[in-house]
Amino acid sequence: MMKDKNIDELFRSKLSNFEQEPPAYVLENVLAGVAGARRKKKIIFWRIAGVAAALLLAFVAGWQFNGGDETIIESPVVVHSTTPETVPSTGEDQKIAPVGAAVKSAETLVAQVTERTSVKTQNISAQNTPKNQTLTAALADSKIAQTTEEESLLLKPIKSLTKLLQPVLSAPARIVPGRQKQLAVNADQVKSIDQQIMEQNQQQILAQNKEKGKWSVGAQVSPAYNVSRSSHAQTYASNMISSSASNPVDVGGGVSVQFKKGKRWSLQSGVYYSGLGQSSGSSTFSNRNLAASSDFATNVGKEYFNAPVNIDASSSKMLMNSTAGVIEFSNVPSGMVLGTNLEDKTLASNTVVVSDARFIQNFEYIEVPLYLRYTVLDSKFDVEMVGGFSSNILVGNDTYMESAVGRSLVGSTKEMETMNYSGTLGVGFKYGISRHLSLNVEPRVKYFLNSLNSNSSVTYKPYTIGVFTGLSYEF
Amino acid sequence: MEDFKSIISDCIAGSRKAQAMLYHQFAPKMFGVCLRYAKDATEAEDNLQEGFIKVFTNLKNFRHDGSLEGWIRRIMINVSLEKIRKQHLLYPVEDVAVYDTVNFSDDVIAKISADDLMKLIQQLPPRYRLVFNLYVLEGMSHQEIAKEMDITQGTSKSNLARAREILKKKVQENFGELIAQNNHTA
Repeated sequence: MMKDKNIDELFRSKLSNFEQEPPAYVLENVLAGVAGARRKKKIIFWRIAGVAAALLLAFVAGWQFNGGDETIIESPVVVHSTTPETVPSTGEDQKIAPVGAAVKSAETLVAQVTERTSVKTQNISAQNTPKNQTLTAALADSKIAQTTEEESLLLKPIKSLTKLLQPVLSAPARIVPGRQKQLAVNADQVKSIDQQIMEQNQQQILAQNKEKGKWSVGAQVSPAYNVSRSSHAQTYASNMISSSASNPVDVGGGVSVQFKKGKRWSLQSGVYYSGLGQSSGSSTFSNRNLAASSDFATNVGKEYFNAPVNIDASSSKMLMNSTAGVIEFSNVPSGMVLGTNLEDKTLASNTVVVSDARFIQNFEYIEVPLYLRYTVLDSKFDVEMVGGFSSNILVGNDTYMESAVGRSLVGSTKEMETMNYSGTLGVGFKYGISRHLSLNVEPRVKYFLNSLNSNSSVTYKPYTIGVFTGLSYEF
Repeated sequence: MEDFKSIISDCIAGSRKAQAMLYHQFAPKMFGVCLRYAKDATEAEDNLQEGFIKVFTNLKNFRHDGSLEGWIRRIMINVSLEKIRKQHLLYPVEDVAVYDTVNFSDDVIAKISADDLMKLIQQLPPRYRLVFNLYVLEGMSHQEIAKEMDITQGTSKSNLARAREILKKKVQENFGELIAQNNHTA
C-alpha cells in the first residue's frame, strides 16, 4: 500500500518549485488590462465628478430660484402717500339692522368692496396689512381712500356699522374720528398711479436681477479639425514617420455652466470631451535596398507605409518615432512586414516596417475650461467674444493601424503628458429661441500651451479648430 | 528588496516598462502555481493574467514588511479559488479502488517528470485539487483550509483523502510499469 506521505512527497518534490514560462501574449493582455483598469478608474472619477457638478448646479439653481421668489414678494413694497380717511357715523345708520345681521351684512359688503378694489390695492394690502389687522382696521386702511366715488358711497353705511360694532370686533386699530374729508379721487388718476407703481416695481425687479447675475447651462457638440504643430531633435527626426497631410476630424462636446454678471461680461466653465488625432499615411516606397529585394521588386510603385523602427532591449517591443512621440507597439500587427539588417547607411535603425497601411494616433482629453465672454452685440441675436484657458486631462491614448483588412489597435504613444494646458479664442453667436432657451454657434481655435509629449526630443503642440453648436438655458 | 521598491513605485506610477520587468521576474513561478490549481493550461493562463492585473492595480496596498513573492502568490491562489467558487462545480464521487504498491524510491521519483504530475493534478475534481494543493503544496492546516474554502475540517480531510486515492490510482495507471520494474530490479 502506497503511503500517503509518499504520494505527498512525490508531488511536493516535483511541483513545489515548478516554473514554466507563460506564453508571451499573457503579458500583453496583463498590460492592456492594467491600462483598461486605470482608464475605468478615471472614467468612474469623471462620472462622480459629473454627478457632483450636476448636484452642485441643481443646488445653485434651486438657490437662485428661491432667491428670485423672495425678490418678487419684496419688490412691490412701494409706499405711496395717501391720506387715511374715516367715514363719519350717523344716527340713522345705527338703526339699520340688529347687531348680528349688521355684522353679516357688513362682511358681505366689505367682501364686495374688497373685490372691486382688490385689483388696484392687492400688492399694497398684502404688504401693508399687519397680521392682526381686523375688519375695522381694513376699513380704516388708507388705500380705501383712493377708491372711486361709487365705492365711497358704498362704504359709507359699512363704516357706520363698523363703528356701531366696535366693541364686538375689538379691533386694535380704530377709526380715527374727525377726519371726515373724503378724497374724491378720479378713477383715471388712480389707474395712472398704479401703473406708475407697477412700472417702478418692474424696474426694481430688473435692476435686482441684473445686480444678482444670471446663470445658464448648456450642452454643445463640435467637429474638431486638428492641425499638427511639432518640432523634433535631429536624431529623432531622422528616424521619424511624417504625419499625413490629411488631418483627422474628431468630435468633441460637453456641458457648460455660465455666470453672467452685468450686461456684457460672463464667466464660463464646464466639462468637455475632446479627441485629438493624427494619421501617418502611406508614402512612396523610398528605400532602395528594400525596393530591390525580390519580395517587393514587383510592387515598386505601389504606395507603402515604410519607416524605421527600433526594438526595445528590455521589453522587446517595437518602437517607432512619430511626430507626436514614440509609438510603442503592443504587438506586431497583421499585414506588417519587417525588414532587418539593411545595408542602407542613411538609416540609424536596423529595422524597417513595410506595410500598405496607415497609423492613426488617437488622444482623448477631458477639458475643464475657464472662459471669459464679452457681449459685443446684445439683442435677439447676440454676438460674443470668447477667450480663456483650459486644463486638459489625457484619458485615452491609442494607436491604430488601418489597412485593407480593417482597423486594429496596435499600441500607444509613449511619454504623453497626463495634464496639459491650452488657450482658446472664439466668437459666439447666440439666437434666443425663447425667453430662457438659446441656440449657440461658436467657432473656436484651441492651441496647446505645453508640449503634449514629455520626450525631450519632441515638441508637439497641435491646435484645433472647432465649431461648437448647442443649446443653453438661462435662469 | 530595495530594487523592488523602485520597480514597485514605477509600477504604481503606471510605467509599462516597470510592470513588464516585475512580470518577467515572477511570471514563470506564478504560472507554475496557477497550473496546479487549474484544470488545464488555458485556465491557468487566464488566472495568471487576472492575477497579475490584480497585482498591478493593488500594488499600492502592498506593505513592504512581507515578501513580495508571497504576496503575489497569495493573489494567484485567491484568483484560482475564486474562479472555482464562481463555477459552482459539482463534485462527482468516484469509486476509488485500493491499489497495493510499493513505496517510491528516489530513482522512480527522478524518472517521473513534473509535467506528468502536473497533468495528473489537473485531472482531479476541482475541490479535491484545491484541498490537495493547499494542504500538500502550500502547507496549510485543515483548519485553515476549512476557513478558506468555507467548509468543515471533516470535509477538508475527506477531500484530501479522496484526492490522494485518485492520485495514487493515476500514478499506478501511468507509471505502474516503471514502479514494478524498479521494484524488480531492487
